[in-house]
Formats: sequence, structure tokens, C-alpha cells
Amino acid sequence: MCLAIATGLSLLIPWTVKHAIDALAADGAAAPLAHYVGLIVFCAVGNGAARLASRFAIAGAAQHVAADLLARLYAALQTFPPSAFARYTTGDLMARATSDVSAVRSLVGFGTISAASTVLAFVGALAAMMAVDPWLTVWAMAPSPVLVLLVRRYNALVTTRTHAMQDRLGELSTIVQERLAGMGVVRAYTMEARAAAEFAGANAALRDASAELARTQAHFTPLMGLVTGLGTLVILWAGGTAVASGRITLGALVAFTGYLGYLAWPTVALGFTLALGRRGLASMERIQQVLGDARTAADDTAAGVAPEAAVRFANLTFAYEGRPPVLRGVSFEVRPGELVAVVGPTGSGKSTLGLLLARLWEPPPRTVFLGGVDVTTLPLGRLRSALAWVPQDAFLFSRALADNVTLGRDGLGEGDVRRAATTAGIAEEVAAFPAGWDTVVGERGLTLSGGQRQRVALARALAAAPPLLVLDDVFANVDAAKEGEILAGLRAAAPTILLMTHRLRAAQGADRIVVLDEGRVVETGAHAALLAADGLYARLWRMQRLEEEIARA
Amino acid sequence: MPEPAIHEEHDDVLGRAFDRRLAGRLWATARAHHRLVWGSVALFPFITLLELAQPYLLKIAIDDHILHADWTGLTAVAVVYAAVLGALYGLRLMEAFLMALTGQRVIHDLRARLFEHLLRLEAGFFDRTPVGRLMTRVLSDVEAVSEAFTSGLFAVVADVVTLVGVVAIMLWMDWRLALVTFAIVPVLFAVAGYFRIRARDAYREVRRRLARLNAFLQESIQGMAVIQLFAREAHERAEFQQRNEDYRRSLFTSTRFEASLYAGVEALGSVALALLVWYGGGRILDGALTFGALVAFIQYTNRFFLPIRDLGAKYTVMQAAMASAERIYSLLDRGPEVETPRATRAPAAAAGRVAFEGVWFAYADERWVLADCSFTVTPGEHVALVGTTGEGKSTCVRLLNRTWDVGRGRVLVDGVDVREWDLGRLRRHVGVIFQDPVLFTGSVESNLTLDGDGGRVAVERALSAANAAALVERLPQGLATPLVERAANLSHGERQLLAIARALVYNPAILVLDEATSSVDPESERMIRDAMARLMAGRTTITIAHRLSTIHDADRILVLHRGRIHEEGTHAALLKRGGLYARLHELGAGAALG
Repeated sequence: MCLAIATGLSLLIPWTVKHAIDALAADGAAAPLAHYVGLIVFCAVGNGAARLASRFAIAGAAQHVAADLLARLYAALQTFPPSAFARYTTGDLMARATSDVSAVRSLVGFGTISAASTVLAFVGALAAMMAVDPWLTVWAMAPSPVLVLLVRRYNALVTTRTHAMQDRLGELSTIVQERLAGMGVVRAYTMEARAAAEFAGANAALRDASAELARTQAHFTPLMGLVTGLGTLVILWAGGTAVASGRITLGALVAFTGYLGYLAWPTVALGFTLALGRRGLASMERIQQVLGDARTAADDTAAGVAPEAAVRFANLTFAYEGRPPVLRGVSFEVRPGELVAVVGPTGSGKSTLGLLLARLWEPPPRTVFLGGVDVTTLPLGRLRSALAWVPQDAFLFSRALADNVTLGRDGLGEGDVRRAATTAGIAEEVAAFPAGWDTVVGERGLTLSGGQRQRVALARALAAAPPLLVLDDVFANVDAAKEGEILAGLRAAAPTILLMTHRLRAAQGADRIVVLDEGRVVETGAHAALLAADGLYARLWRMQRLEEEIARA
Repeated sequence: MPEPAIHEEHDDVLGRAFDRRLAGRLWATARAHHRLVWGSVALFPFITLLELAQPYLLKIAIDDHILHADWTGLTAVAVVYAAVLGALYGLRLMEAFLMALTGQRVIHDLRARLFEHLLRLEAGFFDRTPVGRLMTRVLSDVEAVSEAFTSGLFAVVADVVTLVGVVAIMLWMDWRLALVTFAIVPVLFAVAGYFRIRARDAYREVRRRLARLNAFLQESIQGMAVIQLFAREAHERAEFQQRNEDYRRSLFTSTRFEASLYAGVEALGSVALALLVWYGGGRILDGALTFGALVAFIQYTNRFFLPIRDLGAKYTVMQAAMASAERIYSLLDRGPEVETPRATRAPAAAAGRVAFEGVWFAYADERWVLADCSFTVTPGEHVALVGTTGEGKSTCVRLLNRTWDVGRGRVLVDGVDVREWDLGRLRRHVGVIFQDPVLFTGSVESNLTLDGDGGRVAVERALSAANAAALVERLPQGLATPLVERAANLSHGERQLLAIARALVYNPAILVLDEATSSVDPESERMIRDAMARLMAGRTTITIAHRLSTIHDADRILVLHRGRIHEEGTHAALLKRGGLYARLHELGAGAALG
């Protein structure tokens, strides 16, 4: 609406100029110049105001749409299982959240404004030109079809080259991200030269792709000039002839140049808008792809009775995509109040059990049960509120330590944090930090040692006193003294524990020990019974005993 | 809710649109491509000349031909006009392409410089600086700087040339009319200045909030599993939404000022047109001005306003570019605290001797992790470093390969202070297996032959020594199997095994095992240790392990306590001594559940 007013007013300006000139030419002294001048100023101010209002409305709306889209994207990412994060790299997801969202913003904002003003300008300016002189209008519009075709071809090129450039940019950003995040390794293995070479390759590829794109885009501004110029040329020649022959007035000619100037931008913008639209739609598609991969939102309700802390694996066979099975026919259970340890060599599938139980990876139906219910049928929120799983790789946020423990959960006070931290064996160390619990953890918790990170993660799991604790080798970076202390505390703090470990010492006191080998349960039983059975467990145990005996000797 | 620790001290540097010092440095960066730069600058006068010719041709056509019904003359002018158009198109195309090419080359060079600089910065820097922020430097800041060339500096120079030309020709054609038109200029600058300041502040806020939003998003992506496991989705979403909303608001503010600036200048342009019609009309009546001249004047006025209108946009571009340049150069100026000295000293013999002499060290928090720590490791010796968690065992490794520099004292490798070693040589000399196995995207093989000189034979030997040959065989494409980001397609143990194999490919004189075996099951661990025993023969080895049982065969055990070596000796001797080690060992061997 505002846009229509703006267009109308701005079209009035050349019309006014025409009349002013005609009046001057016809009878100079009587020309109501002040009248025309006032009209021009009025139109200019009105046009500015109306255009501004439309800009605000449309750009504001576009920014809202983009913000909503980003919020939806974020919500979708929250439902992503690890398998999805393995498929999309961080850099790729960041690109979708930044440049793709902004492409959509441009489409909705600038694209809408541009499309609307193009249509209005064409309709309005053409009508005005027809009113002045139909024959001259036809002449003036003659080069347009050719130009539109040219612009379309140009845009197709821009799109392909933009895609090529963005692919190169993605490759470069993955390299940068990884090398920077893994700088410790780069340094220790003096990989600097190699990293620099890889970067240089990707950097040069990006430069060349960008230069290709620039070569195409370089046509844009000159093309605009050409369009305007051609219009003027036609008017000058055809219109000039018409004025010379007295068919139209000089004012009409001047007005025509005004209208044509007015049309120049929309003519070029037409193709530009199309490109913007295409790019926006392609970006929207990339965003939709992420949104489409989201699990259903209805899944995350935490309402309902929390399932009992009983775990059962029933003939569970599982393979990661494209890999041989890591678990084959695994069956065992953890009854409420029990401590069950799963031991076995690396790659025996211990970690996978935890991932499937917490449904970070989706287990096959009717193979994993919590409180007697198939976990694949449990709402995720309810499932996860019933268990606390602590992975091997502890992830800490760049926030205060206290926030890393509470994660903003309601009803977790300072007391809960201290209690959990004491049980996890981290309280004293944190107290020794100058800022204590307010100490901000560096990105990915780099200022803490691996063991400290693991214990903060453990405290995080313990803070809400979960009925079921699932620990995946969380003591890997903790020394023996700490380990014993923490385990004793855990037993008192958590009613039911599923402990994955390769340290038989830690497993020794479990109610039951499940021994995994190459994805199969080879033995189950209490420590003493397993020793008596003289199988893999006994063999591993003897090996450790032997080490100790040698040590004692 | 406390603010998350996304440090923004670098992201909100005050942006001036032009800073001579920065511009000088930028020019130094672009100098490598000075031919491109001068090439496009040389085109400016020609382009301006052709642009200014157009309205004048129109004037000639109207005054001399159209008003005299001279069709032949009109056609001649039209032909000239067409020629001008064609030439202008070609020149502008060349100019735009040269500018863009310069921009791309500058981006490329700056990126390479930044990345290579980052590769030299010390570990402490990376602990303090989020990777996301560095990514912004390397990816987007660099682009903003190149904009300074393409849409900023060059464009401003081109505009100035055009403006000077327009002013000159207007004054020449009719100085009175020209002055009337220019009367609007002070108003124009006042309006532009008013909105520009506000637009600048708003834009700065936009950048700051965008950085915050992106940092939050990136961390969420990396820690999503934690958010999911603790069912914190709603809470994190609210936090995110708050930042998202903050960003959107600032963006709208910025849009408002920019649009106002644009609209204001455009409206003033129309007012100038009105002035022309009013005053010019009067002068035509007086016979002092021709119709053609008035029409040409109207066109010149348009050309006069266009650059001034776009000056605002250019100002924003320049400002963003300067802010980015400031950030980039402050990063580049930040010399590495740890680097190869000018004069390196090579050891007399690369035997593998290590000595810590009264070493003191503290991370940023001023707490001494090592306090007067001294010990030596003789060539070929196998030493184990023991101590409770957080006693600085890993720190010793970081000082040994100069990831960090000592606070006081010195670390000697083969009799030469590590600070005098060539860094590259030192790090090849000291091989480290980390507790956290970091692998990069690429094939398994490219991860093992890190410097490209490993050779297939060395890789295969290392794989079998690290007990990883079977693991690689199980992979779908063997050595060529691509690893995804963070090697998520391998288990933790598998990554560990590959990391061990990688260290072995390097065949270092001094081998450091930093808790490396802690995630491998006892059986594989034993096999690895058998293989390692062969490899460690004649090689200095420093093992850092929490489990005392894994280090019983060390030649010597050093017990770290309160930042210094508390006791040392063989396993048996230390046990006999009944000190700290014996107590640790007791706990390690006897701790049981329940």
C-alpha cells in the first residue's frame, strides 16, 4: 500500500517536470513555476515517507521471519541424534544458520520490496508513458526483452558460480575449524606445514571460485548503466525526431527520460530479484532439510510417571551405518538398586549400550527396555529424566562451573551443586580456584584437566539425584585413589548404576558383571562366580593380578 | 541468569570509518597486487569523462538539433551517444572485474597470513580464545576488509573523481544555477551525518549481538548431546531465543537508520530538482539558459546525488572493514609467545636426554602448578611420572615440547634449553601421545602420515605395533577410509589406537605417553605394551599414568607432589620406602567397591 503510494508519488515528479517545461516553452512569463516546484517537493517528501514506511514494514517482517526460522532451526537441532551431527558438520550447520537464514531474510525482505516495486513501477511507469505517447513507449521498451533475457542468463551463471564458491567456502571453514580446535595435535606433531599447505589449497580454490563469480558479477553495474543509456538513446533519437516533427512536446521528452530512468532499476532488478529468489529458495531448501530431519516435537514431553530404574537389554543386535554389528544378541538386565558393570576390550560395544539406552542412537524396537517399557516407545523427555548418562568425553560449556553443573535446571540450589561435586570428587579442587564455582570454563573446558572435566560432568549427572546412573568409563583420567573414593560415594548417592568400564577393579564390587567381547555377552555373574567360571573375565583378572604381583615383587 | 562467558572484547572494537594507520597497513597488504589496483584506478577518469559526456550530448541534441528539427544532426549525436555507451560498458566491466579480483586476492593473502600466524601462536592463546571467534577472523572479517577495497576505498575514489567532474561541468555550464543546486549540499550533509552516526552505532551493536548469537549456537551444536541427555532443550532454547531476539531488534534499529538515511537523501535530491525547475525556469525565461542545458543539468544533479546517497552505505562498509581490519591486525600483531628463537642451538647429540632444572610454572590463574620441579631422564631410560590428579604431570609434557614456556627455571633436551631449539625439530624429537585422541577429517592414512613423509611401510609397521592393523582392516576401505568430523565414526578406543600409531610413525627420540593407555582394555593394552617395549628399546620414554600397575616396569618412577618431585626410585625401592608412592599404590591395588 505504502509502496503503491510511493510509486504513484515518484511517478508524479517527471509528470510535473514535463508540465513545467511545456508551460515554460508555451508561454514563459505566465508559467506557474512555484506551483510546480511545490508539487515536486510535496511528491518527494511523500514518496520518501511512504517508501520508508514500506521498508520498515517489510524489512521488519523479514527480520521476524528470519528470527523465527532460526529459532525453528535451533529447535530442530535440539532433536538431532549424534548420527545427524555426524552427517552434518558443525561448519555446515553454522553456514545454514547464518548465510542461509540471511539469504531467506533477503528473499522475504529485499525480494518482496523489489518484486513489488518492480511490478508497481512497470505498471505505473508504463501507464504514465502510454499516457504521454504510446508510440514512443513502444520504441522505449523495444530493447527490454533482449535485456531481460540477458539478465536471466547472467543470473543463471551467478547462481551456479555462487554455489561453487559456497562449496569451496564450506571446505575451507571445515579445515580452519578442525585445525584450530585440534591445535595441540597440530603443534605436537609439527603438522604446521601440512596444515598450512592444506589450507593454502582450499584457500586458493576459494579465491579462484570467488574470482569466477566476481567476473560474472562485474557485469552488473555496467549493465545497469547500459540499460539506462540505451533507453535515453532511443528517446533521444526517436523522441527527438518526434519533437522535431512537433508530434510531442519537449516536456514530454524530458518526462520520458525521467520515466525511463525510473524503469532502469526495476528492469535490471527483475533478474536480480529472480536470482535473489532462487538463492533464497535454495537456502530455504537447505534449512528445510535440517528441519525435516528433526524428530517429532511431540516426543519430548517429560510428563507422566517416570519409568522405574530397571534396565533390560533383550537380544539386542546393533550396527552403525555401514559398519559390521557392534552388538550381537546382547541380553542382560539391571534391577532397581543394583550396580551392574559391563567390562570388555575396546570396541566390544560397551559405549554403544549407553548411547542406545539414552536413545542418542535409535535401538531396534523391543530390544532395550527401561522400567519394562520399550525405550523406543517412551517419550524422550521421560526417558532422559529417568537416567543420567555420563559419556567418556566430557563436554563443558563456556559458562561458570556452577552453571555447567546445574544447566539451569529448576530447583537445583547451591547445596545440590556442592553435594554432587563432593560425591564426584571435584568440590575441593573447585574451592581452590580463585573464582570457585563462578570460574568460567574456557571453550570446551580447556583450562581444566581431562579428569577434572569428567568429574564436573559426573557432578552434573548427580546434581538432580537421578534414579539410574549410566557411567561410560568416566574414570579414565582419574587416578586410583580418586576412583575408589568416588565409587564409594556413588554407591551411597545413586540407587541404580550401570557402569561401563575396562578397569576390572572398579567392576569388582558390582552385583553383577557382564563381560562383552566383540559385541557378544560372553559371561555374566558376580566377581567370585566369574572367577570360578575361569573364562575371559578370569583371564583378564589374572592378568591384572599378575601385574600387581610383579609389581609387589 | 549469569551471562555466558562469550568474551567479546575483540568483537566490539569501536569502528571509525577511516583510520590512517590501518589504511596504511591494508595498503601494504594490497601492494602485492598494485598493478591491479593502479589498473582500475587508471580507468576512473575515462569512465567519468564518458559518464559526463552523456547529459552534454543530450543538451547538444536538444538545443542544436531537436529544437531546430535537424534530423541528420540528431542521428549523428545518437551515433556518438551509442558509441559512448558501448565504451562505458566495456570500461566499467573492466573496472569492476579488476576491483573484485583485487579484493579476492587480498582476501586470499590475508587469510593465508592469518592462518599461518595462528599456527604459530602458543597454546595459552587457544585456551583463552574460542575457536568460533578465530573462525570469524579468518572467514568473515577478512571478507569485510576486502570490501574496503572493492565497495569502499576504490568506490569512494571513483565517486570523488565523478563528483569533481560533475561540479566542474555544472559550474562551467551555468555557475549561478550550479550554486543554487549546491545550496542543498549543507542540508544534505547535516541529514546524512545525523543518520550516519546512529546507523554506525546500531551497526556495531548488530555485529556484537550476531557474534554472541553465533558463539552460542556453535557451542550448542557441539554440546547437543549434553543438552539432550539432561532434557535442557527448553531452557537452552529460551537462552538462544533471547539472543536471537536481541539480534533481531538491533538489526531492525540498524535498518531503520539506514533506510531513513537513504530516503532522506533521495527526498533532498527531489528538492534539488524542484530548485532547478524553479531557478532554471526563471533563467530560461531570461534567455540565459537553454532547454537542453536545463535537461542536462537535471541529469547532472542525479549523478551528483547518487554518490552522496551511497556514501552512507560506503561509510558502513568502510566502518565494518576498519573494525575487521583492527581485529585482524591486533591478532596478527599478537606475536607468538612461544616461537623458534632467532639463533637456534642444535644439540651435540640427539640422544634423548631430558632435564627439568628448578622449573616453576603457572597457567593464567597464578596458581603454581610446578614449583621448583627438577629431574633428569637419561637417554634410553624409561621414566614414569606419577602423582594425584591435577599435580601437573600433563603440564610437564607441555613444557617439554614447548606448548607452554616455563615461568622460571629451564627445561633442557639433550643439553639445550627448549627455548633455544628449533621448534619443529624439538617437536619431532619429542613424540606425544595425548589423552584425548584428536584426528582430522581425511583418510585414515592421511591422519597417520601427517607430514606426508611417513611412507606406506612406516604406516603399516606403526599400525601393527600399535595393534591397530586389525582395526584398519575392519574399516570399509582400509587405510583409505574417510574419517568424519571429530572422527565420530570410530570408537574412543579406536581413535586412541590410531593416535598411538600416529606417534609411532614419527619415530621420535623421546616418547611421551600422556595417560594414553587409559582407555584401552587390559588385553589390547598388554599387546600394545609388548610392541611398545620393542619400540622403546633405546628410546627415552616418559609415561604419565594414573594406574600404577601400568608403570611397574619403568626404570625409575618420579612422584610429583605439590609441584615438585617428592620421591623417586624404582617401583620396589619406592614401595620399600613406604612413602607417598606406597600409599598411592596401596589405594590403587586395594580400592574395591562396597
